[in-house]
Amino acid sequence: MKVTIKSWTGVASWRWIANDENCGICRMSFESTCPECALPGDDCPLVWGVCSHCFHMHCIVKWLNLQPLNKQCPMCRQSWKFNIH
Amino acid sequence: MCDLNALWLDVLKIFPILSGEITSPLETVEDEVFENVYRHLESLGTITTLTSILSLEIESTIRNILVPKFWKHFTPTENETPKVKLDIPVNTAAFSDPNALFFTFIYAIDELYNSYECLELIKPRLLYLNKKPLSASSLENTQKTLHNALLAQLPPSFNNFVGDFYSVHFRLFTKDLTLSVNALDSEVFTDLPCAGCNFDLDQCCCQKLTEMVTATNVKLLKMGLIDRLAGSALTALIKLKIKEHINDTCVGIFDRSHLKQLETWINDVVMTWLTSIFTEWKSKDDISQENIPQSVQSFKVKLTYFMYETFAQNVISQFFSIIIDYPDSSPAIDDLKICMEKIDMRVYLTESLRSSLEARILHPGVNTMDILTGYVAAIKAIRHLDNTGVILEIVTAPIKEYLRKRNDTVRRVVTGLTEEGPTDLSEELAKGEFIKYGKDAGNNEYSNWENWEPDPFGIDPNVLELNNSKVIRSADIISMVVDIYGSKELFMVEYRNLMADRLLSQLDFNSEKEIRNLELLKIRFGESLLHSCEVMLKDVTDSKRINAHIHGDENSDESPLFDISSLIISAQFWPSFNKESLQLPVELENEFKKFTKAYESYKGNRTLNWRTVTGRVNIVIEIGDRVLEMTVPPTQAVIIYHFQNKNEWSLEELSSLIKVPPSALRRRISFWQNHGLIAEIEPGVFGLLEKETEKTQFDDVNITDADEEDLESAMASASDQREEELQVFWSYIVGMLTNLDCMPIDRIHQMLKLFASHSGGVEFTQDELKHFLQRKVREHKLLFSGGVYQLAK
Repeated sequence: MKVTIKSWTGVASWRWIANDENCGICRMSFESTCPECALPGDDCPLVWGVCSHCFHMHCIVKWLNLQPLNKQCPMCRQSWKFNIH
Repeated sequence: MCDLNALWLDVLKIFPILSGEITSPLETVEDEVFENVYRHLESLGTITTLTSILSLEIESTIRNILVPKFWKHFTPTENETPKVKLDIPVNTAAFSDPNALFFTFIYAIDELYNSYECLELIKPRLLYLNKKPLSASSLENTQKTLHNALLAQLPPSFNNFVGDFYSVHFRLFTKDLTLSVNALDSEVFTDLPCAGCNFDLDQCCCQKLTEMVTATNVKLLKMGLIDRLAGSALTALIKLKIKEHINDTCVGIFDRSHLKQLETWINDVVMTWLTSIFTEWKSKDDISQENIPQSVQSFKVKLTYFMYETFAQNVISQFFSIIIDYPDSSPAIDDLKICMEKIDMRVYLTESLRSSLEARILHPGVNTMDILTGYVAAIKAIRHLDNTGVILEIVTAPIKEYLRKRNDTVRRVVTGLTEEGPTDLSEELAKGEFIKYGKDAGNNEYSNWENWEPDPFGIDPNVLELNNSKVIRSADIISMVVDIYGSKELFMVEYRNLMADRLLSQLDFNSEKEIRNLELLKIRFGESLLHSCEVMLKDVTDSKRINAHIHGDENSDESPLFDISSLIISAQFWPSFNKESLQLPVELENEFKKFTKAYESYKGNRTLNWRTVTGRVNIVIEIGDRVLEMTVPPTQAVIIYHFQNKNEWSLEELSSLIKVPPSALRRRISFWQNHGLIAEIEPGVFGLLEKETEKTQFDDVNITDADEEDLESAMASASDQREEELQVFWSYIVGMLTNLDCMPIDRIHQMLKLFASHSGGVEFTQDELKHFLQRKVREHKLLFSGGVYQLAK
């Protein structure tokens, strides 16, 4: 007997490759959205800092805007720099 | 002085009643006799004495002789009464018996009338004798005494006689009408007895009977007895006739209005007949509006109301069928509306409708979809009847309550909303578009103020307390249906689950229809509740794009073993999956890894978690000289794939290889057993069947089973999802019990509700909590004794 698979329609769920599950700022899951967005994924992406912490982009930008002087990572208090892959 | 004896004889000559003589008509007495008697009595001064003697005598004669004699005709000595009772309602029965009664009545009335006339004659003589006017009332006295005496000695069965008499009369009267109705089948008609007198046509005596009846009527009228004697019997008879007429003409016909026709019938037939009884017999044309006596007028009012009532009752008793037939049955509802404006039937309506609904649809034998259809029809029909919605609220309460108990209700409603083809609910949903955009709701209320009706009075305030009347008025069918559960949230959750199931089972990345439905639902329920559904649909369209991209990109690689396309979902927004698993063979898994890699390079920083159990595989099986091409779920594909290299597998072996529990695996294998490819060689060991067996003959039968299996939901069952939600509270419960040692369930529930209101508002009932806690007890995390829970040490 020979079985040939012609096509396979599968189901998969996507997730961010990150070292945590929830955004440290809004406490929502990374795969979910920041409080302001409706659609996850492309529309509400994650960003990484050089300190390796990551957040919803909208969350961290908002946070940075609220810091008057030195912009710090909310998790480790190192100065925040975007880690561009 | 004259001879007293001669005088007495003369007096007797004038007033034979003094000797007990009443029956024979009075002989004319010469004036000299009067003169003579008057002169003597005058001289004796006994005229007043004579007058009082006379009136006493008249009275006692009426009371002791006339009336008993009259009633004797009707006392049930002849054992006829029981029969009479039977004959009255069914007056098409054999004519002979009722006929006898009929004649008895006529004879009795005749006799009474004759005697009465005698007595009446006494008065003028007395007057004449007195030569001066007596008091005005004395002439009516005889009549009054007669009435009193008659009524005082009324035998119980008398009404039957009168009723019978008049039913014969009525039949005679309506004979022409009946004839014209039956004219169509006149050939048959010749064999039937005459409709009027039930004799054969050639010896029909209608004419004779009519004359007799008329004569009797006139006599009764003259004695002023019609109202007293015949009134109640007449009313009863006419009511019966009205009922019969309504039953004959209106039952089961809802698609046209009957009221007009009934009113005409009352006027033309019943009232004309009554008038003919109460006035002396005239031909129909002579009776004009003015000379209809007062009693007939009041009769008419009474009877018209009775007709409305009977008709309304008739309609109400069939209201269930009307609901089902709506909108074809709207004329019947309009009729009922008119009736209800005149008579207050609301309580009766609600009671009868409630019980008929309960008897017809609220039992286990009816499937939920049918109940829903009935519910929607009831909403429409009752709305039409009463736009304040109060009746609706009362009547549909039991339906709602019942539907709440059925666990597939939400599913059915959602299916109804989204199903292809015209269902009530999907039509309503589509209507929603116009409602929302067409006119502003608030505006509508004021522009329509002329049609406003106040809330009906006298209803249970509890009904209104729950829903203020404005809400009831404005609620449309969808919200009424959704209202069954009292919350939109539950509905939306179920909608999401169903949509997930549909998307996962179709997997054709075609979501246009779903998007349309979603837009319609959004109009109704607001965006926020349907947010995750929106994300789900976006996942579908995104997946389509990603698939296209990856397929286009892959050309550079070595050609793949097979095409993979994938539905890539945002797990947070989908209902949670059930926990089934499936381990793919290495070579297949590699293909998926390739796909994942392609995805990762396309979407930076993201990767895929495959859910191998769900999906669809298109496979070609070459076995012996057969080639089978089919589309199967992944588990089935993997099973048959493994049989390529090894012809025999034990259940355990295969189970540990593909990580499917043995019981589930056995179920999956049965799919291939049904197709005749695999057989259970010995218990727990399955082998490939290279040759075609007879079993394939049964393919058609068994494939349906397999198809059903395909329909299994990939989603976690609702109760599993629920438990996951409650799991959130577990830490609270542990905290509570640590501090307070032990608590009864209602305290726990109360405390949790407090927390729940803060944390996202997960609603749950005490029953659900109990279920949850009991599970924890089974898992030995809690102890339950004496009605309180405590932590297991």
